[in-house]
Amino acid sequence: MSSLLSHEIGYSAPIEVHNHGFSPYVNNEGTSLGICGEDFVLVASDTRQSNGGYSINARRSPKAFELSNRTVIATTGCAADAKQLVEDMEQRAQYYVHKHGREMSTPAMAQVLSQLLYTRRFFPYYVFPIFAGLDAKGKGAVYNYDAIGNIECVSHYAYGSAAALLQPFLDNQINKAHQRGADTTAKPSRAQAVKLAIDAFTSATERDIYTGDWLEIFIVDSEGVHKLTRELKHD
Amino acid sequence: MFLTRSEYDRGVNTFSPEGRLFQVEYAIEAIKLGSTAIGIRTLEGVILAVEKRITSPLLVADSIEKILEIDSHIGCAMSGLTADSRTMIEHARVEAQNHTFTYEEVIPVESVTQAVCDLALRFGEGAEGQESTMSRPFGVSLLIAGVDERGPQLYHTDPSGTFLHYEAKAIGAGSEGAQTELQEQFHRDMALADAEVLALKVLKQVMEEKLSNTNVQLAKVTEQSGYHIYSKEELQEVIARM
Repeated sequence: MSSLLSHEIGYSAPIEVHNHGFSPYVNNEGTSLGICGEDFVLVASDTRQSNGGYSINARRSPKAFELSNRTVIATTGCAADAKQLVEDMEQRAQYYVHKHGREMSTPAMAQVLSQLLYTRRFFPYYVFPIFAGLDAKGKGAVYNYDAIGNIECVSHYAYGSAAALLQPFLDNQINKAHQRGADTTAKPSRAQAVKLAIDAFTSATERDIYTGDWLEIFIVDSEGVHKLTRELKHD
Repeated sequence: MFLTRSEYDRGVNTFSPEGRLFQVEYAIEAIKLGSTAIGIRTLEGVILAVEKRITSPLLVADSIEKILEIDSHIGCAMSGLTADSRTMIEHARVEAQNHTFTYEEVIPVESVTQAVCDLALRFGEGAEGQESTMSRPFGVSLLIAGVDERGPQLYHTDPSGTFLHYEAKAIGAGSEGAQTELQEQFHRDMALADAEVLALKVLKQVMEEKLSNTNVQLAKVTEQSGYHIYSKEELQEVIARM
């Protein structure tokens, strides 16, 4: 009606569109990866937080966290949801210590994370976690999840805005995909894994505007969790 | 003895001036009427043995079940009110399955014992927001035997919700004599096969009827095969070694 009227008087006023829809999800972009070694695991995330446009919310907003002295988690998706999920996991881990008098094992924690996600099956956390840690025998394990708790134990994985760039790179370098005659059973050494993570993110920042600023790397070995920080492109 | 208690033994949630809960104490007395059950822990595993009171020759002995499975690595022997034990063991089984579902690992033996003891105290009117399932304490005592990463373990629970870790324990009507006997005969590094025989020997001493493969039940929990209840033939083989 109003547009018809504006036509008649030859003046087109901007039509205000009032959207009353509820849109609770925001993708804060950024990238996370996980690499599984023989006796260690590595997760890495950049720290840039965006809102899906050209602006940057924060240059140092971590997406990867230490959950216990043998487990770490790297997230992508909605930063607020990720924060809530990680706090929930920390609480579950602490409660387990009180109830059973020991630390939760890595496979147990992986299962709990899957179930926490599934409890919100019809209003999911917008989070894509990569969970990693050492199992009871000290061997590395990396798990990736979708937002509703589907779980997969993998040798390496990438999630986020540059996942499409990182995943084939890791497939090639870690699983030796398309490398004729290469030893496909060998797992990367710790030094190799760190180098791959840094190279992967450095390259990703060249092509993905949502990945950059700082890189945080968590390595879990028999001694505990070690954290490395590297600078990435700020543009 | 009981006359002095008349004022305070009705309410299940009322302390007597001396600080006692008589209904809980009476429940513990109820167990002393039950059939004898014995648990022995060895380094190889745990043995559970119970007597079955065959009160009539027309009674089908197999219908008496006093040793039950809680999970594949935990078994349980009971003494006292059989019907009450159903509720507790059902709770223990659900707790064990929930643990496996949530954590993809077997429940620790102590945790399942703790869960049963939490239930044991849920009697009376029930606090705000907490539902009460029982109007009185459970008249049953359990011997919970299991194996987890801490090795073979034996726990005893009573109606007060207390649980204790034992190496060898007897409950039920013949428990006093049986416990004395266990104290004399038990030693820490005994073989599982010797514990089988000891359990039956002690039972035999406190049983009124003559021990046979129909009026006792025997079970073991080991690292290798988990919970296992002895068949008539396996039981006969142990009896032959006595």
